[in-house]
Amino acid sequence: MEYLNLGKISLLIGFILIIIGFWGILSQKNIIKIIVSFTILDTGINILIVSLGYIKGRTAPIIDASVPQLADHNVLNSIVDPVPQALVLTAIVIGFGVTALLLAYAMKLFKAKRTLEINQFNDLKW
Amino acid sequence: MVSPIYIVAAALGVGFAIGVLGKLGKNFSGILTLLTLGFMTYVSSEWLYAFYFGDQVSTYVFTAGYKPPISINLLMGPQEAFMSTLINVIGLLGGIYLFFNFGRKGRNAFVVYLVFIMSLNVVIMTRDLFNLFVFLEISSIATAGLILIEKGNRAVGAGFKYIIATSIISSILLIGTIFAYFYTGSLNIDDLVKSDLTTTTGGLIAVFLILIAAILEMKPFPANGWGLDVYEGSHQGFSAVVSAATATASYFMLYKLLDIAGNSWDHYIAVIGAVTFIGANLLGVKQKFARRLLAYSSIGQLGLLMLILGLRTYLGDNLNYVVFGILLTNLLAKTGFFWLVGIVKAKTLKEWAIIRRKPFFLFLMGTFVFALIGFPPFPSFFAKWTFVMDLAANGGFVWIAVILTGSFLEAIYYFRWFGYAVKADDNYNFSFNVRWHKITPIILLTALLYIIGYLTAQHTELGRMINFIPLFFVLILFALDFLPVFIKNTIAIIGMGIYFYFIYPSLSDLKLLFEVIFMIGGILTLIAGYAYKGKRSGFYPVAILMYAGLTGLIEANTTLQFFFGWELMTAGSYFLIIRGKRSMPHALSYMLFSVAGAYAILAGISIANIGQLTTSLSIFNNIQYFPQWAYGLLLFGFLTKTASVGIHIWLPGAHGEAESDVSPMVSAILLKAGVYGVILALIGMSKSQYDLSSLTYILGWVGALTVLFGNISAVFQEDAKRLLAYSSIGQLGYIVFAFAIMTQLGWLTGFTYVINHFMYKAVLFLTIGAVVLRVGTHNMYEMGGLIKRMPLAFVAVLIGITSLSGVPPLSGFTGKWLFYNAVIEKGWYFQGVIVFLSGGVAFLYLFRLIQTIFLGQLKDNHRNVKEISIWFLIPIYTLLAGLMVFSARPQWVLQPLGDMIANYMPQNSIRWDGAYAYTAIGHWTGSGVMMTIGSVFLIVFLILKLSTRKAHKIKQFDIVYSGERPDRPDTTHVAYNMYAGFYKAVWPLTVPLAERFWNWMTELVHEAAGFTRRIYSGNGQAYMLHIVLYIIVLFFITIGSSI
Amino acid sequence: MIRNFLIGLVLASFVYIFYNLYVSYEPKTELTGIAAHYAEQGAKEVGAANLVTAVVVTYRGFDTMGEVTILFLTASIIGFFLKLNKKDEKKVIIHKGTSELLVTSAQLLVPIIFLFGVYVFINGHLTPGGGFQGGAIIASGIALLIMANPNKEINHHAILWIESISGIMFVIIGLLGIALAGGFLDNRFISLGTFGDLFSAGAIPLIYSFIGLKVGAEISNILNKYQKSQKES
Repeated sequence: MEYLNLGKISLLIGFILIIIGFWGILSQKNIIKIIVSFTILDTGINILIVSLGYIKGRTAPIIDASVPQLADHNVLNSIVDPVPQALVLTAIVIGFGVTALLLAYAMKLFKAKRTLEINQFNDLKW
Repeated sequence: MVSPIYIVAAALGVGFAIGVLGKLGKNFSGILTLLTLGFMTYVSSEWLYAFYFGDQVSTYVFTAGYKPPISINLLMGPQEAFMSTLINVIGLLGGIYLFFNFGRKGRNAFVVYLVFIMSLNVVIMTRDLFNLFVFLEISSIATAGLILIEKGNRAVGAGFKYIIATSIISSILLIGTIFAYFYTGSLNIDDLVKSDLTTTTGGLIAVFLILIAAILEMKPFPANGWGLDVYEGSHQGFSAVVSAATATASYFMLYKLLDIAGNSWDHYIAVIGAVTFIGANLLGVKQKFARRLLAYSSIGQLGLLMLILGLRTYLGDNLNYVVFGILLTNLLAKTGFFWLVGIVKAKTLKEWAIIRRKPFFLFLMGTFVFALIGFPPFPSFFAKWTFVMDLAANGGFVWIAVILTGSFLEAIYYFRWFGYAVKADDNYNFSFNVRWHKITPIILLTALLYIIGYLTAQHTELGRMINFIPLFFVLILFALDFLPVFIKNTIAIIGMGIYFYFIYPSLSDLKLLFEVIFMIGGILTLIAGYAYKGKRSGFYPVAILMYAGLTGLIEANTTLQFFFGWELMTAGSYFLIIRGKRSMPHALSYMLFSVAGAYAILAGISIANIGQLTTSLSIFNNIQYFPQWAYGLLLFGFLTKTASVGIHIWLPGAHGEAESDVSPMVSAILLKAGVYGVILALIGMSKSQYDLSSLTYILGWVGALTVLFGNISAVFQEDAKRLLAYSSIGQLGYIVFAFAIMTQLGWLTGFTYVINHFMYKAVLFLTIGAVVLRVGTHNMYEMGGLIKRMPLAFVAVLIGITSLSGVPPLSGFTGKWLFYNAVIEKGWYFQGVIVFLSGGVAFLYLFRLIQTIFLGQLKDNHRNVKEISIWFLIPIYTLLAGLMVFSARPQWVLQPLGDMIANYMPQNSIRWDGAYAYTAIGHWTGSGVMMTIGSVFLIVFLILKLSTRKAHKIKQFDIVYSGERPDRPDTTHVAYNMYAGFYKAVWPLTVPLAERFWNWMTELVHEAAGFTRRIYSGNGQAYMLHIVLYIIVLFFITIGSSI
Repeated sequence: MIRNFLIGLVLASFVYIFYNLYVSYEPKTELTGIAAHYAEQGAKEVGAANLVTAVVVTYRGFDTMGEVTILFLTASIIGFFLKLNKKDEKKVIIHKGTSELLVTSAQLLVPIIFLFGVYVFINGHLTPGGGFQGGAIIASGIALLIMANPNKEINHHAILWIESISGIMFVIIGLLGIALAGGFLDNRFISLGTFGDLFSAGAIPLIYSFIGLKVGAEISNILNKYQKSQKES
């Protein structure tokens, strides 16, 4: 399969993970499982980001021995896109922050009602 | 100029430092936080000042020293400065409000709050898509944290729902962002706007994902359960900040991002906004809890903002003016409201009755309610006006209907709530305490609301011409509210007198006539106020507010001034009406019909305004497009005030339950405002180049039927004041009918009725009101024989009903005579007969009025009542004198009026010769009739007197003659159910069809709301499902077909 | 039932949306837009061999500040969310001892992990890695410590001081960028040095070190809070 290059494969994996994440978020009743689904969703998105920066046959965006330093413009033709890699770093950190907070919430919710079923927490409605 | 980057640097620097410095104490951290917020406010407001009062140009701030798109940049322009100043001001005040709440949670809470406000600033300023995402996440996380300053599981639940919902939204935004970057090679929003992203399928989807995320941040109905829970579940101090500051940031984010899609999304945004605005407000109607109600209202306002944004092509350059007006009002008033809820702590709306234990709080609440509904002088009034005018000018009639419907729904629940606060039973044993740091921010907001309202008016071409002097007088009376009645009454009367003296020379004809009714009538009815003791707190400001509105109507030269006056008058009269003991439901229905009427007027004016070069009131005379609609809407609006049949149901309760001196104000005087409007519309129609006779024909029927139903209903009232109220409906029907005839004679009839009704209805309401004050009941069968105790009142009522009934010799007959001439000349025989027969019905209730109250047997408990108060007698007899003059010398008034009418109705079918009036049908003279009738009366009187010399007085216990059982007079009293026989004949006409119809409508709205709100099941997972469903539905609606 | 149907509908629709995205995706063959600029000019402008670091710390340094803020925020929120009342604070929970293996390896590994973390963030501008990675590594050392000695209290104050000071330093360095160079977070107020050296790329190693310390401290802080929250009754 000539046109199924690495970028496409990882893109596909990213999408699949996102779908799985959404499935978990929407159908799991246990709050911890929902949180895990969120991390799967985040991971999917992160893979998506990185794969969109991928260019076939190129190296990491670090100018060292692996980049033939003939001239400056050569860097242009030998590395993958550095921007998505920077963005994914931010996305990961944000995901970490949100997950940490969600877990703290889960602890408090459990303390409140001694259950982690999400449909038990509907005090506010209508 | 301090660079806006210092907003970020200061907040973060201080935030990080508090980690260590916080050891010095919680209060230290708090004060440091407030100082930083103060600094942030200073920076943004300095820019704002420079933009609006200097010649500052928009400035980019480059981070890392590189130009965009290489590096992230921030933009500080006029809009950004405005928005971030708003956010910072609210942030600062919120920090003060929540100072001790944060303190209880430790220094970290201050840090989170500081970072929260900072992140919203960046969301406003940044021009980088990914940076926007990052700071949006910061604000979401901070929100999820700050929700927790409220104790209890509800807050935890709300926070959890909020964080999972926003996580989904930000995931969608992130996917969109990364694909947008992939296709354009840039993350700069300006680059994305310039790029041709939407030409490729992938780019199209990326734009969709970005925009849907921005839309979801605006909490669109129905995918907003999480948003509602945050408003309801978190501490109200913080809900206020979310409602104000986060909403501002979300709006601006959508505003920025919308350009990426060009104009192609405007329509969708408008529809989404409309659905949200109406949906949220509809559900608000059913809501019983204060917190949740405010949540619905906040979401409704977000919907309105989206609606405005979506309709930006209609608004053109006025977009920002409208947005700023709505946003400012919403921000200040809603924030204040949330904070008020935080202080008062009453859960259900009914429990809000406790707020009036501290009248100042009631004042604050009233201010917020009227600001949110868009009453003058608040900025939203001007914004709404401009919005509707611009929409009409560009043909957006459907949108006008949407906006007015949503606003109306909002008015329903706010005024119901306010009604509870003013009037519901307060028998709760909990109270509320006020601490300075909680109330100070609210007072500041309120002051800002008034000041900005005034400044908004001064900065618009239209508003600058509005006369604020009467309003300042209202404010002065507010400040003097602590004084006793006697002094305040004197001040009010003198103020109105002076005002009238100065305004008098500038008026003539129509304006003069109505100004005399409003002002002289106002002074006369105020005189009755001397009869009251104590402080009568709150009465004078609102009474003068109504008169300020009324005189504003007269002085108005432009449509905006007219509408301004109309709304002030409505507000003032609402407060007057709700003062009555059992007035709560009646004041609400009065207000709702008034608001609906005002919106009809607004819509009518907006249509009239199309294609006009001037904003003067003269555009009514020259409506160029859709004249039937424009005049129809205007007339409908005015008819809500004259209480025509079908939309009359508010009047009996409102007038009947009002205080004794308020009834004449709202009946004899206020109803004339509607008449004035009708006349203005009809003048316009008379000059119109279009054939509008079908409209006047309908109006004529409306008038005729109103007379019939009003009079018949009046007959069966046991309550004297309600009887007079129904009578008013009938009398106003006469007036409308007469004007609808659209001939010189018809109008002359109309004016005669206007003047007559003003005088005799004021006399009757004042007298009956004064009697009620003495005997302590409204029920006529509980009175009787009062002629012996209060002969002066009897004479007043006798003259009043004689005049009303239209029998010679008083001025009522003048009206009748003109009326028959006009009807015959016009050829409206059928309607004429209905009105004629209704006149006969009037005798029934008028007879009852005098017979059951003043004749018959005096009740035991009334043996010692005194004559009605001198302070009522003075205005009553002054008006009677006027009535007599008008009866004897009608030509003094009618001749100039006839000449004036000739300007519009040039038939010239009446000719005056001294005291004689000639028409094609015959002639008549006022003084002549008076003398004739006087002579006949005298002769008959003498004959009877001579022929009945043997007659003797009936004693009370002479049952054979008096026909009353003294032990239970109310059941066998002839006055009780007096016209039972007549009722059998006409009962089909007394079926309260209009009441049933409106009840059915109310029921329908409540059922719809009750059914719809079930989607808010409280389950966080369901809310996430709503969000993703919303996304895919919108996907298939918007771009699904084009890929 | 309806619910499952709706979930299925949603997922199917997402599949449809992603399918469209996938089909319209053409793998890149060239660097375009800002990426091209970074590749061509990055080394010259910023002086960092690791272009990702150049982007993270300088070009998009403002984002990174936001990132750090998010961690800081999370730590602060968890700080007051999981705050114990006075009674619980004093409570002592004795955990069962952990395995000998864990305790021993922790003693051996933790210093090395710390050292490695420091190495990663100091060399962030040259090699793969940086402040976040280094910080996370350091925090993983703390996590190991906690697991090995669950009864031991971590020195809360030290973490706090590191977190606070490094945060302030980050902001100050950012401001120095305005004062001495082109703008907020500009790294060029320190000479760029020789390309590829440890002390090169202007302020980047400095910034990344503070980020590393701060991230490490914050994550440790969160871990600490979680551990303590077990005492809540």
